Amino acid sequence: MVYYLIVCRSLTYAQRTAAVLERAGISAHILRSPAAISSTGCSHSVKIAQRRLAQALMVLKKVELSPRQIYITEADGSYREVRL
Amino acid sequence: MIYLDAAATTLQKPVEVASAMAQAVRQYASPGRGGYPPSAAAAELAFCCRTELAEFLGAAGPEQIIFTSSATHGLNIAIRSLVGPGDQAVISGYEHNAVTRTLASIPGVETRVAATQLFSREADIEAFRSQIDHKTKAVICTHVSNVFGYILPIGEIAALCREREVPLIVDASQSAGVLPIETETWQAAYVALPGHKGLYGPQGTGVLVCGKESRPVPLLTGGTGSESRLQQMPDYLPDGQEAGTHNMPGIAGLYAGLRFVRRVGTERILRHERQLMKQLIPALKRVPGAEVFVPECGSCHAGVLSFRLGGKDCETVSGCLGRQGIALRAGLHCAPLAHQLAGTLETGTIRASVSAFNRESDIRTLTWMLNNL
Repeated sequence: MVYYLIVCRSLTYAQRTAAVLERAGISAHILRSPAAISSTGCSHSVKIAQRRLAQALMVLKKVELSPRQIYITEADGSYREVRL
Repeated sequence: MIYLDAAATTLQKPVEVASAMAQAVRQYASPGRGGYPPSAAAAELAFCCRTELAEFLGAAGPEQIIFTSSATHGLNIAIRSLVGPGDQAVISGYEHNAVTRTLASIPGVETRVAATQLFSREADIEAFRSQIDHKTKAVICTHVSNVFGYILPIGEIAALCREREVPLIVDASQSAGVLPIETETWQAAYVALPGHKGLYGPQGTGVLVCGKESRPVPLLTGGTGSESRLQQMPDYLPDGQEAGTHNMPGIAGLYAGLRFVRRVGTERILRHERQLMKQLIPALKRVPGAEVFVPECGSCHAGVLSFRLGGKDCETVSGCLGRQGIALRAGLHCAPLAHQLAGTLETGTIRASVSAFNRESDIRTLTWMLNNL
């Protein structure tokens, strides 16, 4: 399944991000970022469905929560950074 | 035991505090350290506690809430972030050693005390106005005196700090849980408070609320579960201030205590404590030789007071009452400055302080005992 990972600068920001998205009806799951996308070491990401990215970004912009990076899964299980 | 030392720590806690702590010991791992359920559960609890604390303390958001081990810990972070060697700070005449010793430990700091009169809000505001100047790096002010229960005019002092563009640090050790804490309205740089007094959490817990623009300097460095490849502490909150494993049983207990306070309501708790003070003050004044230190204006007074009994030694009286099952605190209460202002530095005082769990019968027993010493 293809999904997006919104990389957050801290666990608390990931929790805030997930809470805001959930309140807007967007299913959001917090996980530790895969090592491949965690350039400075450990971090947390919020996983959302592919079709909800645009809406999610609008919701986050409204509350001034800016994602550090966004990745999309590739068919081979790798991650590709999404430039917005 | 009749416990009247809530200003040191509240001994009676809501029952849910102990059960939340026991559950945390059994079920919670370390937040942010793993993707497995006990770590996720701990992270969820810490976030819920932060979110509710942020609402309760008027903070900009949950990330502005730092878990500390005590108010002293928070005050150390706040003071050392704003006041460096050779700087100048202005403090009230009621500050605790958590403030004064911390300032004294920074080389060459000039500490100006804004105090001229005991229990005068107008005089306090004027004293701050005259002491703050262009060299002032921080104003540090307790919200409520831990010796006398006197409520300082923090709103006015905060307005003065905004006008002079000086960062304000508030010590809310005696006010959190009974008075509104309005970090963002005051535009305070920092508000420090314990978890184990008016919030009814366990000892070993505290909170530092950081203003939106504050950039605290870490007091502790170490693992945060974030950006682990970097050898510098993260420059964002709360991670930058929370090195090491979180005190999850403490946070669970603090959260349970906070929910109790919010359920009962701070106004109701304050009303209850003031009612007990209204009963205690005249009864104390009738005890032969008693000298009671309280502000005249009832709305400037919270649930703490100090008294002396004629020529009797405070520690001896307190020790005697302790052996008879009444817990009061005698001495200088780690606040020599406040005693200096009241003229009680040489003798100390006996302090009585109440919580939501005290009853009128506690006050009756205390005054009966004092009359029959």
